Amino acid sequence: MTQHLLETARDLPAVIIERTLRSGQIVHYEGNLVILGDVNPGAEVTATGDVVVMGVLRGTVHAGASGDQSATVIAFRLQPTQLRIAGYIARSPDGETINPNQPEIARVKDGIVTIEDFPIGGERAGKN
Amino acid sequence: MSEVIVVTSGKGGVGKTTVTANIGCGLAMMGHKVALIDADTGLRNLDVVLGLENRIVYDLTDVIAGNCRLRQALIKDKRYEGLHLLPTAQTKDKSAVQPEHMISLSEELRDLFDYVILDCPAGIEQGFKSAIAAAEKAIVVTTPEVAAIRDADRVIGLLESSGLNDPKVIINRMRTKMVDRGDMMSIEDILDILGIELLGVIPDDEQIIVGTNRGEPIVGNDESLSGKAFRNIVMRILGEPVPLLNLEPNQGFFLKLKKIIGFK
Repeated sequence: MTQHLLETARDLPAVIIERTLRSGQIVHYEGNLVILGDVNPGAEVTATGDVVVMGVLRGTVHAGASGDQSATVIAFRLQPTQLRIAGYIARSPDGETINPNQPEIARVKDGIVTIEDFPIGGERAGKN
Repeated sequence: MSEVIVVTSGKGGVGKTTVTANIGCGLAMMGHKVALIDADTGLRNLDVVLGLENRIVYDLTDVIAGNCRLRQALIKDKRYEGLHLLPTAQTKDKSAVQPEHMISLSEELRDLFDYVILDCPAGIEQGFKSAIAAAEKAIVVTTPEVAAIRDADRVIGLLESSGLNDPKVIINRMRTKMVDRGDMMSIEDILDILGIELLGVIPDDEQIIVGTNRGEPIVGNDESLSGKAFRNIVMRILGEPVPLLNLEPNQGFFLKLKKIIGFK
């Protein structure tokens, strides 16, 4: 069973960073990146795989930095200055922004960066 | 047990020098021996804010160059017993002071004083690096503006990477009315981003400007709210848990009532 789960997993190394990234701090990783903390405005996070932020993502983020369009960005609070996936660049809208009080996921769908709620537990079952 | 504290901010003009002067005077008022070091070589201001400009003979660069002894460069404050200023040069640049100079100077001062407080220059270059080299504690000053907070965040990151963990923040020039209108970031918003401990909040007060221009730090002014805010900060540095000051004490009864009912 475990082996079966692993076969469907995306085979990239991952690293966990246990701190908040502040303005001017940069992290780049060839693989998946997990941050246990916030990413503040002015900080930059890039990874060739997925980026998961267990905190508030307010800085700049680039997932799939070497061109992987299936890469995703997940954050407890997704409020990035700029969000890139592979070659696609998205930014927060000018003026009023809605900040839903829950985790969200960003991915490329039909050539557009889309951001959706990332529901927990049973609600997600079968969707991913 | 003496402490070496650096006051820094990243951004210029947020009130580092004013905060340094007021904390220094406040600690001296409480009977502590305090040395203030102006680390902003080339753009010194601390002497002006303290009203001691006309007493400078030797400065920090003279001590480093061996032109005088440390005690000769120290200026005794005219108001507060126990407060001393080590000014820096106005005619040299930051390269005159290296991190190792600051370390050896602070070591020497540490034996003579209870608190050594460094007024850091703006920026994150050589002057900043020299100023923080000797410090064991850091106070980050910011104002409720996005640019100042961005720079404060950057500086906190740099402080942490040079081993100065748990810096504390002072929020300067807070305008409660603007916060109520939603036009200014609140204390909570700021702490949310910076994620460090709050040392105090200083209200935006014209009297501070008057005081700095006259060379009389506001902390000695018993009537002003900002003076009280600085005295509270001094108490917190001394380890006493003083609750945060209510920044709108002049509110009338009806205003308070309105607020309770929900009309802002």
